[in-house]
Amino acid sequence: MATTTATLTLSSADLMTNNLSLSATTTLYDAGTTTGLTQYEMGKVTVPSSDTNSILIDSTAAGVDKASRVYVANKNTNETHYVIIAINDAVLGRLYSGDWMFIPWSQTDAAADIEIKCPAALSTTCDVEYAVFHQGKTFTGA
Amino acid sequence: MATTTATITLASSDIADNSISISNTATLTKAGSTTGLDQTSGISMRTLASTSTVKLIDLDHYQGQTLTENKAAKVYIKNTGTSTAQCVKVGIQNGAGALEEIGWLYGGDWMFFPYSAVWTEALSANNQDIDVTPSSAASVTLEYMIIFE
Repeated sequence: MATTTATLTLSSADLMTNNLSLSATTTLYDAGTTTGLTQYEMGKVTVPSSDTNSILIDSTAAGVDKASRVYVANKNTNETHYVIIAINDAVLGRLYSGDWMFIPWSQTDAAADIEIKCPAALSTTCDVEYAVFHQGKTFTGA
Repeated sequence: MATTTATITLASSDIADNSISISNTATLTKAGSTTGLDQTSGISMRTLASTSTVKLIDLDHYQGQTLTENKAAKVYIKNTGTSTAQCVKVGIQNGAGALEEIGWLYGGDWMFFPYSAVWTEALSANNQDIDVTPSSAASVTLEYMIIFE
């Protein structure tokens, strides 16, 4: 088994009266176990300008009701550029340039894809890095 | 303006032949600008002790104020427990009155994501609330925070 950790550090000296200093570390396990996740995929893509959601990470039957984790980062540098992240058309939010996200992903069914959209109104593409750590996926025939 | 940073480090020395290490720091700014997000719920805690679905973030009753929707808000949620068998399912209302499950937080797991916070109308099932559902009735405490504009 593999040991993979995800650590978050949130810091601010002036968001509140007192300093914000929050740290959280978790080890990425298979669902309901202490066995580490052993599979991952990562990549970088240029998301085209479009008002239609595209599939960034495909949900498959083998991943349904498992303990996948998803990381996505918007690597553009213009602060007005953003991508919209959704799961099965349910919008989570806008990931602006430089922002990243990290979520558990249970893939409730084969339609629960991680979807992305770089709105046409921005008239640009968006460079996105992503990684998914998972327990398995269903392969399709060639 | 406030300066708030969020750093993630993803690391493994044995998931593949070569180590992987992903590190990224985001400075949390308002939508389309370089001005820092300046409002927050602060760190909140909520203990659950049943398998009922509850609204962790209810846009109708969010501390008496309205989150500005479709901006650059961020949400942090952590399961502060230690159980690797018991989880809390986190979902978001999909804007059409149905709950879309995002994923499961086991003990120690955390998530950090952008939040559009779309509010439709009072008491509407279409409001983009964030709901949580424990997998067991054993007590579990969630730590959470919203940073918004």
